[in-house]
Amino acid sequence: MSQITADATAMRDREAARRRRRKAIRRYTSHPGFVIGAVIIALMAIIAIGAPWIAPNSPLATDLANTLAPPSWQFPLGTDQFGRCVLSRLIYGAQISLQVGFWVVLISLTFGTLIGALAGFIGGWLERVIVALIDIMLAFPGFLLALALVAAQGSSLTSVITAVAIAYTPRVATVMRSVVLTIRPRPFIEASHAIGLSSFRILIRHVIPNALPPVIVVATVSAATAILAEAGLSFLGLGVQPPTATWGSVIAEGQAIITTRPLISLSAGICIAIAVIGLNLLGDGLRDTLDPQMRRQTGGKML
Amino acid sequence: MLQSKELIRDGAKVGDAQSANRPALELRNLVTRFPGDDGAFNIVDGVSLSVAPGETLAVVGESGSGKTMTFLSAIGLVPRPGKVVEGEILLDGTDLLKLSEEDMRALRGTRLSMVFQDPLTGLNPVFTIGDQIAGVLHAHRKLSRAEARQTAIGLLEKVHIPDPHRRIDDYPHQLSGGMRQRVLIAMAISLEPQVLIADEPTTALDVTVQAQVLELLAELREQSGMAIVLITHDLGLVARYADRVAVMYAGRVAETGDAEAIFERTAHPYTVSLFRSVPSLETDTASDLLEIEGQPPDPAALPAGCAFEPRCYLGHGRQDCQTTRPALRAVGDSSHRAACLHSSEVITEGTAE
Amino acid sequence: MNTPVSLSTDRDALVRVDNLRKVFGGKRWMFGKAGPEVSAVDGVSFSVGRGETFGVVGETGSGKSTLGRLLLRLLNPTDGRVVFDGRDITHLSQSELRRLRGDMQMVFQDPYGSLDPRMKVGAIVAEPMQVHGTDRSQIVRRTGEILEQVGLPPATADRYPHEFSGGQRQRIGIARAMALNPKLLILDEPVSALDVSIQAQILNLLRRIQRETGVTYIFIAHDLAVVRHISERIAVMYLGRVVEMAPRQKLYAAPRHPYTASLLSAVPIPDLKAERHRKRIALHGEIGSATALPSGCRFHPRCFKARLKASADGVATAKIADDVFVPRQCVESDPELQADAEDHFVACHFPLEPGEAVDHGIATTSNE
Repeated sequence: MSQITADATAMRDREAARRRRRKAIRRYTSHPGFVIGAVIIALMAIIAIGAPWIAPNSPLATDLANTLAPPSWQFPLGTDQFGRCVLSRLIYGAQISLQVGFWVVLISLTFGTLIGALAGFIGGWLERVIVALIDIMLAFPGFLLALALVAAQGSSLTSVITAVAIAYTPRVATVMRSVVLTIRPRPFIEASHAIGLSSFRILIRHVIPNALPPVIVVATVSAATAILAEAGLSFLGLGVQPPTATWGSVIAEGQAIITTRPLISLSAGICIAIAVIGLNLLGDGLRDTLDPQMRRQTGGKML
Repeated sequence: MLQSKELIRDGAKVGDAQSANRPALELRNLVTRFPGDDGAFNIVDGVSLSVAPGETLAVVGESGSGKTMTFLSAIGLVPRPGKVVEGEILLDGTDLLKLSEEDMRALRGTRLSMVFQDPLTGLNPVFTIGDQIAGVLHAHRKLSRAEARQTAIGLLEKVHIPDPHRRIDDYPHQLSGGMRQRVLIAMAISLEPQVLIADEPTTALDVTVQAQVLELLAELREQSGMAIVLITHDLGLVARYADRVAVMYAGRVAETGDAEAIFERTAHPYTVSLFRSVPSLETDTASDLLEIEGQPPDPAALPAGCAFEPRCYLGHGRQDCQTTRPALRAVGDSSHRAACLHSSEVITEGTAE
Repeated sequence: MNTPVSLSTDRDALVRVDNLRKVFGGKRWMFGKAGPEVSAVDGVSFSVGRGETFGVVGETGSGKSTLGRLLLRLLNPTDGRVVFDGRDITHLSQSELRRLRGDMQMVFQDPYGSLDPRMKVGAIVAEPMQVHGTDRSQIVRRTGEILEQVGLPPATADRYPHEFSGGQRQRIGIARAMALNPKLLILDEPVSALDVSIQAQILNLLRRIQRETGVTYIFIAHDLAVVRHISERIAVMYLGRVVEMAPRQKLYAAPRHPYTASLLSAVPIPDLKAERHRKRIALHGEIGSATALPSGCRFHPRCFKARLKASADGVATAKIADDVFVPRQCVESDPELQADAEDHFVACHFPLEPGEAVDHGIATTSNE
């Protein structure tokens, strides 16, 4: 009889596991914000990577006989004052924007997580020093900080990424520290000490994985601000140097002729807006779906 | 004290004979439903219960048995998206389900009151306890400030808070858990309700404080003749304070009757298991406790037959228990009822020991 | 403050605690203000034999949970000594302590919070073995074995804690604690968060594990009935002190400290006839605060016996409130824990005599 019940239990377990997997997938697919955001970012990535095949023209090829051409089959969004294909420049511009977003998130997430986790977990004077430094950095508006750093370093893609990452690391660190502070007193941390884990191992194995979801959300959203910052810097001529196509520089170059050819600046602006909205939706979606505890608190249906 | 209780009791008996004395609160076939991932399910599934004036009804069950939800339904506080979908809730003869939301609000606190498990969540931390009690009095009784304050001091005195003139200006965090629970009880009885529902009022408190709080409830009941519904999982408290008992399992009443019948002639295997599985100061320590195997059932996926069958020492595996859902029916005297197909077997077994 | 009581028992002691103290607060931070000092544990001494179950009961604020953490050195004692398995562990370094943790483990009260929600059950149970260098194949085998021992199917290992009920999670917690076959298991309120029908499963499981492995338990709880069921010897704590310590039968049948007697009388028993005739000793007031301890015996403001004694002839009294008198001795001197009868320790100037608690006639309430 116990054999029968054991088999029944095993079968029930397998069935339950299957149901759980389906539920987990449904959780993501049934969140409209997450789906739309993910689709936008995925499309952007495909366009950026496939730029050489997708773009109708070279983003750099000037055609002085064909400047400021209106939209046509050859130039779907027309050309700028140097006769370059606007659509191709936007397509290649996605590469820069995505690169900036990706690297800034990677760098600020890595360092911010580490710094915030150390401050929150170890506490004491280390925390006080780190918090003071973060507060000082946060006192500067992020964009101004990036501006100053680029001005000092000279403008290039690397220095844009470095500058924006440095500006956003303290923000990630602040979130990380506050999340770690809520995790530190939880019983499973004490239980880990009781098992005989070293503090370092507890930090790596238990604290950081549990703190990560909200931090990932912040990082996703900060990718959007990073893209904005890069566009801003390029617009001011402090970003990636011409003639490389970026969305910010397309806006800047279109600015002079915005009254006669508004489409040029506008189309680049729309690209930036879509990317930012996509990342924000993705961030919201992750926030709602990533953490099982958070999910239970916010309860069932979104939207 | 002894006399007054006897009087009330006798009064109730006389009233029964004349069938003029209605129950203070009566639930008839109450069904509370929640939508779920795999279809709606009943968290309260056809519960009928009643409590007479001056009587203490103990409602016993584990978490998920529906005991709290039953009385949240009665007081009109079912959390969304749950909904009472069937039945009647009669407060002194009036069906509360037919009242408007506004009438229901006016009635909550005045005639039907509830005290919750966690004494901290029931109090607002930014107001003094005096303000909070006076607030209730002001809202329902339209008392002036001075009158309300005076009444509040009287109430604190009634619930044995020492030095009420000074304590009335304290904030909740300045009080201990036991004191806070007394304040909540003072608020609950401030409008002299006919029925007081106490949901695990002492679970968060130490055992010595628990005794004080429950003695207080018993005393208030004798003074005012209100009916008390004591929701608990502690059979010791039931033995001490209850006149009548309802044991709930999986959203239904498993057994109900006079305390004496429940303790002396237990008729449901779940009740038997509860008695034998909980250690008390008199349990034989040499032998292991009786285990109720498995887990309480998921209300969204109840078995087709008796909900307790998978865990039952008596009926597990029996054909009829697996297929027939037992109705609550009389066993022995008329007020003692049990929802078990084999309750006669349970009683014989119990009295044979 | 008070001299260590010699509690050497003839049994080979696994744990010996001498005059253990823990003071919280009082330290000033760089800018902050110094908080008040709280003596959570204030001079506790006892010893626990191998294979024994030692119960510690007390109400909120008694210091029982702090005591458990001091024994494991999850907290560092302010004063006193903890000897484990013949070795003084009071001043071991963190790395030495970590090695020791294989021999002394803990099960926590909160079955929901004490398991990492992001780890699978198998990983949770395997973690202590990984830390203590068990080799991989052995870990897999032992994980299955220990899950089976606590009554969980092997498939449990691939699931996450939130998929389980409270009782099953507590089994997981016990499996984790027993994975390394410790000599000592400290159980901090292991069943108080569980449903009544589940408590019996866990208590029986704990007893079975002890029969099978001979592990020593220190069982900390507020529920006197639960502690009685599982413990052979019991210490009753009040405001950081052990006020009474005795073998189970003696403590429950004939408590000698007025506090123990009051506690026992407050626990209702699920027996209709017996319960309705029981008398209850009312405790005066509420448990004091460890920040402002009463002078002398810390229980005297609440003690029925002290008030009773004060009315007797020839006792020098002190007034502690309007119309409330207690013997001067209770206010002026702090009673030490002393062995009265064999193995029965009590810290009281006027301990109860057998049968006295139920017959004294005052300060009782009853609903008859």
